[in-house]
Amino acid sequence: MKKLSRLYLILVFVILYVPIIYLIVYSFSQGDTMTNYHGFTWQHYRDLFADPRMLAIVADTLLVALLSALIATAIGTLGALSIQRTSKRVTRDVLLNLNNILMVSPDVIIGASFLIFFTTLKMPLGFGSVLLSHIAFEIPIVVLMVLPRLREMSPSLLSAAEDLGATTHQLLTKIILPFITPGILAGFFMALTYSLDDFAVTFFVTGNGFSTLSVEIYSRARQGINLEINALSGVMLLFSLLLVGGYYLLQQNSRKRRARKQHNREVPQ
Amino acid sequence: MKRLISLVALLLLVCGGLAYASTQLQKSSGAASGKVLNLYNWGDYLDPALLKKFQTETGYHVNVETFDSNEAMYTKLKQGGTHYDLAVPSEYMVSKLKAAHLLQPLDHSRLTGMQNYDSRFLNQSFDRGNRYSLPYFWGTLGIVYNDRFVKPGTLTHWSQLWSPKYRDQLMLIDSARDILGMALVEQGHSMNTTNPQTLLAATKRLDQLSPNVKAVVADEIKMYMSQDEAAVAVDWSGEAAEMLAQNKHLHYVVPSEGSNLWFDNLVIPKTAQHYQAIYAFLNFMSRPQNAAQNAEYIGYATPNAKAKALLPARVRNDRQFYPDDKTLRHLQVYRNLAPRVVQTYNDRYLEFKMHH
Repeated sequence: MKKLSRLYLILVFVILYVPIIYLIVYSFSQGDTMTNYHGFTWQHYRDLFADPRMLAIVADTLLVALLSALIATAIGTLGALSIQRTSKRVTRDVLLNLNNILMVSPDVIIGASFLIFFTTLKMPLGFGSVLLSHIAFEIPIVVLMVLPRLREMSPSLLSAAEDLGATTHQLLTKIILPFITPGILAGFFMALTYSLDDFAVTFFVTGNGFSTLSVEIYSRARQGINLEINALSGVMLLFSLLLVGGYYLLQQNSRKRRARKQHNREVPQ
Repeated sequence: MKRLISLVALLLLVCGGLAYASTQLQKSSGAASGKVLNLYNWGDYLDPALLKKFQTETGYHVNVETFDSNEAMYTKLKQGGTHYDLAVPSEYMVSKLKAAHLLQPLDHSRLTGMQNYDSRFLNQSFDRGNRYSLPYFWGTLGIVYNDRFVKPGTLTHWSQLWSPKYRDQLMLIDSARDILGMALVEQGHSMNTTNPQTLLAATKRLDQLSPNVKAVVADEIKMYMSQDEAAVAVDWSGEAAEMLAQNKHLHYVVPSEGSNLWFDNLVIPKTAQHYQAIYAFLNFMSRPQNAAQNAEYIGYATPNAKAKALLPARVRNDRQFYPDDKTLRHLQVYRNLAPRVVQTYNDRYLEFKMHH
């Protein structure tokens, strides 16, 4: 049985990763299509780094992702705090459900409504509109990631701190924030990936020379995707690996610190 | 807390770096100079070398934004909020944009390259007198076949596709107007018919094609055909050109009894701002040398007669992509039909796909 379950696990991972690996193997292939492997070359990577328009789009995509994730994390965390503090059950449920509706509503509808919204406000489409709409659809994700962490926190922890004379500010910065930091980080990284992924919303609100990777790649599909896109996928995969690695290090780091603190407390000097 | 703050500071720093990199990159391509042209085009549908040449020649930087379907482009143009100076819709979309008052008429007194165009591709039903549009590329609907399975030269008419010889060998492009249009032409009708009876007859005729149809697919046809997976396919000339480049056993035929003639066209949306740049670009692209270079890069047929003369003989004389006069006369441009009729086309086509 154990062997079988391990086999199943391996199979699932193979199915998930083979297409990506296939894509990247072909980014090193001579020739222009993904039909036959023609031998190793760096050409497509060279093409990619010699294409200022593509590189500008990559930089813009990352900028939008990081900035929107940062702002959405701040707003979403505050939102989660306030939902948690709401004492009336009905209000809290309503707030939470309003948040969830945004999570489940299709991207196309959100995108179209943003387009109508921005154009009625006579706001030019471009970096600003993309950033704002990304922040908007990331907030609910952050709220959902932070809330469980807040629920785990025991109320007696807060009462104890208050009894010892902690001010509201101290309560927030010394007790609550350190406790929910893993949730905040998870929310930030989820928001980041959502932003990098998004096509449907972004497509509607890009304009005036501003574009992101997903929109650009999708519109190239009419001509058949060339291997420069494969090379780009390779670079992006490397980037996401670094991201995952960074997240892992951050987690390890905070776990170690917590362990050390506990250790110090238990062994009085 | 301190860690969170330092993390945020670090991220902001990275953001600043990215913003700087992005503006630097755009500056290196001249985007920030203010002399710009915003072009809304299909993905990879213009030789990048020409953009560079245009910039060194005129000083205008071209911001290219891309779309993937006529409908998506229509939505963006209609909603406003964008300032595209030029867009590249297909012919039926030109009529639709025109009807929605989203286009700016061309000022013919500012166009210098009109005499370069082949008169056969001007003054079409979707834009009489080219008041709003200049043809960019044109093409046809036709039959692609693989000479390993089909003897070269034997397959030249639509009706032959119904032959039991091609049982389970045929791939169709997934497009209602094109596939129904093929059946209509085969029966000697117009591809723009609005008569429900004629359409019904065409659907019945299509149903008889079912045993031959291996699949109704979109872009994948290119891959299947270039890997010898099917013997015959019905597809557009642009796609066919790409397949032919990948597999030398493939050939493309436009049946002489008639087929579709399609155009992609340059138009000026209502929201355009940079008129100097627009006319500079239109005249630049009309110049035979540039149009020829673009046609060689994209591989589609150019409506620019003088540009065609500059193309290598093997391209210029290729009857597959530049059909002779007789065939050309039989080609039909799709008219923008009333929504009710379009619905009938779609319904009939769906029925065919379901029966299949």
